[in-house]
Amino acid sequence: MRKRVNVYISLFLVMAMLLAGCSGSGSGTDDSAEPPGNTSDKKVKLTAIMTKHALTKPLAEMEWLQKVEEAAGVEIEWQEITADWGQKKGTMLASGDIPDLFIGPNVITDADFAQFQGLFQDLSGMLDQAPNVQKMFNEKPDTKLIATQPDGKIYGLPKYQRFWPASASRQFINQKWLDELGLEMPTTWDELYEVLVAFKEKDANGNGDPNDEIPMDWPGGIGGYFNPAVMLGSMGITLTDGSPQGYFVEDGKVKNYLTDERYKTMVAFLHKLYQAGLINPEVFTHDYTKYQSVARGEGDTAKVGFTWGWVASDRFGQQLASQYASMPPLKATADYAGELSWSYDYYSLNYGTNHIVMSAKSKQKEAAMRFINELYAPEVGMQVLFGSIGPNIKDNGDGTYSVLPPADDKMDPGTWKWTSTMADNGAFYIPDSLELTLGTDMQEVLGQSEPLAEALEVDPEKDVFPGMFIKYSTMDNNTMSLNNTNVMNLAESSFAKWVTKGGIESEWDAYVKESEKAGLNQNLEIMQKYYDEYMSKN
Amino acid sequence: MRSPKGIQSLVRDYQLWIMILPAILVILVFNYIPMYGIQLAFRDFDFTKGLTGGEWRGLAYFEQFIDSYLFTDLMRNTFLISLASIVLGFPAPIILALILNQIRKKRMKKLMQTTVYLPHFISVIVLVGMLNVLLSSETGVVGHFMKSIGLGHINLLASTSTFIPVYVLSDIWQHCGWNSIIYLAALSAVDPQLYDAAKIDGASRWQTIRYVDIPALVPTIIILFILSMGSILSTGFEKIFLMQNALNLPVSEVIATYVYKIGIISNQFSLASAIGLFNTLINFVFLFAMNAISKRVSNTSLF
Repeated sequence: MRKRVNVYISLFLVMAMLLAGCSGSGSGTDDSAEPPGNTSDKKVKLTAIMTKHALTKPLAEMEWLQKVEEAAGVEIEWQEITADWGQKKGTMLASGDIPDLFIGPNVITDADFAQFQGLFQDLSGMLDQAPNVQKMFNEKPDTKLIATQPDGKIYGLPKYQRFWPASASRQFINQKWLDELGLEMPTTWDELYEVLVAFKEKDANGNGDPNDEIPMDWPGGIGGYFNPAVMLGSMGITLTDGSPQGYFVEDGKVKNYLTDERYKTMVAFLHKLYQAGLINPEVFTHDYTKYQSVARGEGDTAKVGFTWGWVASDRFGQQLASQYASMPPLKATADYAGELSWSYDYYSLNYGTNHIVMSAKSKQKEAAMRFINELYAPEVGMQVLFGSIGPNIKDNGDGTYSVLPPADDKMDPGTWKWTSTMADNGAFYIPDSLELTLGTDMQEVLGQSEPLAEALEVDPEKDVFPGMFIKYSTMDNNTMSLNNTNVMNLAESSFAKWVTKGGIESEWDAYVKESEKAGLNQNLEIMQKYYDEYMSKN
Repeated sequence: MRSPKGIQSLVRDYQLWIMILPAILVILVFNYIPMYGIQLAFRDFDFTKGLTGGEWRGLAYFEQFIDSYLFTDLMRNTFLISLASIVLGFPAPIILALILNQIRKKRMKKLMQTTVYLPHFISVIVLVGMLNVLLSSETGVVGHFMKSIGLGHINLLASTSTFIPVYVLSDIWQHCGWNSIIYLAALSAVDPQLYDAAKIDGASRWQTIRYVDIPALVPTIIILFILSMGSILSTGFEKIFLMQNALNLPVSEVIATYVYKIGIISNQFSLASAIGLFNTLINFVFLFAMNAISKRVSNTSLF
């Protein structure tokens, strides 16, 4: 008995020692006690969160980033987030326990600044420490407008990159299928219908199976990029940034297409296509990954006839891209005489709101500002976007640069870019004066944008909603986001139902009334008020 | 006279109280203390002042929810899904337990039991993934089967009329076996002499179930039913959220998913707490009502 007790006691002691050892080593690495401000030769430690693309490699492996950290005399402990930032953010901000820096596209929104007052650093008084940011503000005054809150404070800095086209979505049709079936490229909705029927019935990809062609496909739902909402351009509606919630501007008036007669016409047309079996039956249940993999076909066999995407090589893969042609917008009917339009996304593609944000609680604000300044240097900017000089960008030695093709020749240039660097999610400024030859993918994008050029000759003053430049009050922001949740709940389910089962004719009036009840009119009033205010200032 | 008795029992049974102390602490710390957050439903959430610092708004957020455009839809969907889960899902494990109890061979019984309760351990995410794969109208087994018997393209996951059946039946498939364990335990407590007596009296197998097994189960059934009433409006958030898509949204938007969209996605913490509290209150009322009814009717109750 005695012996056994002794064994237990010694076991207990060993356990206790082990536990003590663990906690001891834990506190040993804790260096928060280091006095701040002492930066002359010692690197300052910062913490940062970056919301990056799922493909992007670890930030520690980016050469340019190491050089930037070195130049700024900082060492950053990165937390890299690839999914569900929207959910993680709310709880993190509410707890108040945040890192020194946040990087990512609209990583902290204006609404967050309003709601979590005092949590984020007002940078307007610190700009003298960041000449590169000041340079951006001077050369591109729009960037300062985007960054400045109604009370003159600056919490988040934007990015600017100039190279991107005026629209994110391009319209593609399988030219090879058209040629093989002896068809002309459609120019109206009716012609499109005929072409899609032929795609479906005549084994367009020639593999012997007449049933594996998907004549038309999109990622699902209504609104946003790569979505049939761009077909509203066939009746003159200019979407802004894909109009994910339906808002657009026409002749100085803020409207929402979700209750517009032209939308009704378009949905009826989509139902006609669906009923004829021309739309992927899984269009409302598949996710983006599945959509992408279907569009990329199998080997040389294309599956999809008509769809939307950023660029052919990204949508259909390197192997199939050459089969597809970029199309101009279609006319709604042969006798339609009005103007054609498209989705005008120039601002959201080339500028970005709140790409870097600093914590007001940071103990190392000066060091963080040094890092921001380095990040906004012109030569750094192009590396943030396209990758390090060396593997991704060639320094031509005469002050000019060119983007290199992917080192991995199986990868398309777009995927390569997203794999190698922060890309569009980073924070940077690329001045218009920088001489950089773009890679093949960007040249491809610009080339494939040409059919849209005419439709995008819109008046950005009168027909585009300046979403980025408008700053709402917290109250209005809350009201609008609540209303939008309700409006989209109704709109998405109605759209899916009407496309698959029809019935828009009889249900339209009730739907419009319901949408108004869900808060659509209230939102339009709020947005119109801010829009008018913004327009009167310019 | 009562209080000294209380203290006396505390002193007398102090060992028992010490044993139960950790449990009391856990419940206090994790279930009662966080309840002070409920006040968020009655005041504006102000980040700078913390949970307790915002301005009082009274019942404003409750009114906002009840007046909100989706209120009736949300209530209807939540009720329908809960009701279907209870009506179909509640008897299923009882029936399964009765069937398993009839299996005479011990090894066979063990094998069956293990087989039916294994699905309980599949995570919800994997389960919904399996549903997506199996029920897909283009590539799934069920989709192909329905096409081959001439039903055409039916996407069971994307229709307002099939969402609830798919939800409830897959839930039964997953949890029925696990939930039957408690009934099997109750059945194993039945005195074997009762079976022998029934046999001597010439009872058929069906009659044994009816007159011996079921009466033995009734107290367990009532207690579990009362408990399940307490969660009538708290339908499983994850599974519904994962199964949601634009086509089934009219029937699949329930209070839990709406609270998530309002609270986490649009950062309206106060409104979300009000909706959550509203949900809990209704559960509470149901629980008490059922308890009172069963106390009257059958003398079995939780408290």
